[in-house]
Amino acid sequence: MTRHAQENVASVLLLALFIGIIWLCQDFGPRARLIPLPLAVAGIVLTLIQLAWHNFGSTAQLQIDMISVQAPELPVVEAPIERIPQKKSVWRSESGAYGMVAILVAMVFILGLMPTAFLFTAGYFLLTGYCSLRRSLLYAGLLTGSMYLLFVVALQMQLYHGLLAPLFN
Amino acid sequence: MIEAIIAGLTALMTPQALLFMFLGVIYGLVIGILPGLGGVVAMALLLPFTYGFETGATLALLLGAHIATIWGDSVTSILYSVPGSAKGLALCFDGYPMTKKGQAKRALAASATGALFGGIIGAIFLALCIPVIRPVILALGPSEYLIMALWGLTVIATFGEGSLMKGLTASILGVLVAFVGMDVVTATPRFTFGSDFLMDGISFPVAMIGLFAVSEMMKLTIKGVPIVDRTLVKEESTVMEGIKDAITHRWLVVRSSILGLWIGVLPGVGATVAGLAAYAQAVQTSKTPERFGKGAVEGVIAPDATMGANEGGGLLPTLAFGIPGGESMAILLVAFIGLGVVPGPEMLTKNLDLVFTMVWIIVIANIAVTVIGLGITPWLARLPSLQANLMVPIVLSVCFVGAYATRGHIEDVIVAAVFGVVGYLMDKYRYSRANFVIGMVLAVMIERNLHISLTLYGGDFLLDRPIALVMLVFVLVTAALPFVRNWRRRRLVAAGGAAS
Repeated sequence: MTRHAQENVASVLLLALFIGIIWLCQDFGPRARLIPLPLAVAGIVLTLIQLAWHNFGSTAQLQIDMISVQAPELPVVEAPIERIPQKKSVWRSESGAYGMVAILVAMVFILGLMPTAFLFTAGYFLLTGYCSLRRSLLYAGLLTGSMYLLFVVALQMQLYHGLLAPLFN
Repeated sequence: MIEAIIAGLTALMTPQALLFMFLGVIYGLVIGILPGLGGVVAMALLLPFTYGFETGATLALLLGAHIATIWGDSVTSILYSVPGSAKGLALCFDGYPMTKKGQAKRALAASATGALFGGIIGAIFLALCIPVIRPVILALGPSEYLIMALWGLTVIATFGEGSLMKGLTASILGVLVAFVGMDVVTATPRFTFGSDFLMDGISFPVAMIGLFAVSEMMKLTIKGVPIVDRTLVKEESTVMEGIKDAITHRWLVVRSSILGLWIGVLPGVGATVAGLAAYAQAVQTSKTPERFGKGAVEGVIAPDATMGANEGGGLLPTLAFGIPGGESMAILLVAFIGLGVVPGPEMLTKNLDLVFTMVWIIVIANIAVTVIGLGITPWLARLPSLQANLMVPIVLSVCFVGAYATRGHIEDVIVAAVFGVVGYLMDKYRYSRANFVIGMVLAVMIERNLHISLTLYGGDFLLDRPIALVMLVFVLVTAALPFVRNWRRRRLVAAGGAAS
């Protein structure tokens, strides 16, 4: 998908979000929706202008901000919006980043915070080839130990122990 | 008054007070650097350890820790574009580009020196303002606060990152996100979808962790290279350059400090707004605003000077009326109760020596933070050149524990992750994350003060509050002025071109 199409998809998603907010606001009383409702309407108007400008106007017209207004001697430059299809590798690495965050959240819920910190750090070092197994375990152990000392011992916080914790109690 | 100034300093010259201040500063620096844990958390966690000690020592521990978190927050904003807490946000805009240009040492030193000057100027103004500030604070009501929040919204245009439409859309999204949870005015749950967790709203520090820290780590994962590749960009700046920068831009420091003091005096506005307002003020008063956002050192000095001075300002309403200037000052109020100190007008008459003890703590703690900060800057400046594969798991692990530690809700880990993805997409499609955060910060202030104004004065409250009306005119004029100036300049250029 081209960058141009991606921008359009983002605008359409925002439109859907603002319409959803207006729909939800119908359940609120007049004072509770006093600010959210007009704001959501304003959001729709802005997104429609953005969408129209993006597809039918010059991208330079979108480049309005206080800095450019205060420095008018600078030439107005076309926005560097890519119109070429993105390489597959970018999609792959982006999917990898989303997956990494999702796995980390899942691990936190299942294993708890401290075991996740240890396993995620050691696993990441190993999978990326940053260092050997022994060093990965050592660095992950140092990180987890430091966090434990700070959050649990020094700051006396009760950390989350994960869904599996009852099995070990 | 001279006796009170001397008595205030003498109260701090005990081994216990000096030791507590040193411990507080070190602890504050560590907490400040950790994502999500700012000055409020630092003071709240210290509170149980403060009973039974000298008054001066207790205040030195609490205020010393709080002041150290200000620079601690700035460090991660400058080095990684990851604010330690919300108030470090403004430092990301130019501090991080400086790091990427190989000027991390200069940025960190300018930040520490700016905060020192701001802290000292703030403390001096605090001492001078004590006799005259009372009628000024009492003259301002909810309508005036509403106008000030609206003035805060005008800075959004400064952080447009290109498209003004996208900038405004991002700020609207931020405002709407801040409305998630129970509306305290009408007792209406808004956008909660029946979730008990969402009733409490979206935690501001957790959203910040996601928007900035998690999304930056996602970017690092995708790029696979360090923030600063030392084979391409050498660190060529020095600590001395940063110190000189803060001295060279002394008038910017003074302006920013007065702004910080003023915002600190206003209850409930806070250091986050102060930092952003200082940045906007630095852009608007610069002769070369086009350098901002690309690594202008003024963009680092101004927010730090403002936040340094903000603490002095926050003390005024806390001491004079028992109205906390911000969350951290609310915790200080709790400490006062433990110490048997009753805030109120008498603090500025009978307990003036205690007030000056706090003024001295601000000065001495700021000096200590700067000395330590400048000392460790050469080592800190090396951190961004660490490999991405080392940084990503460590920072993500700390961020997720930090997100949980903010309120003790495991759901906040999901919130941080969701905001991480949102932050990454916003950055990719150039919807300003800064505008989103400004919207979040100002939303509650705008809504609360609008409701109170409507209840107290009715729909035409501006006519009943002449100060608010004058302020609104001032806001409209200052917001429109750059556009009018630009329009006139362009007309002159066009006329000149036609003539030639």
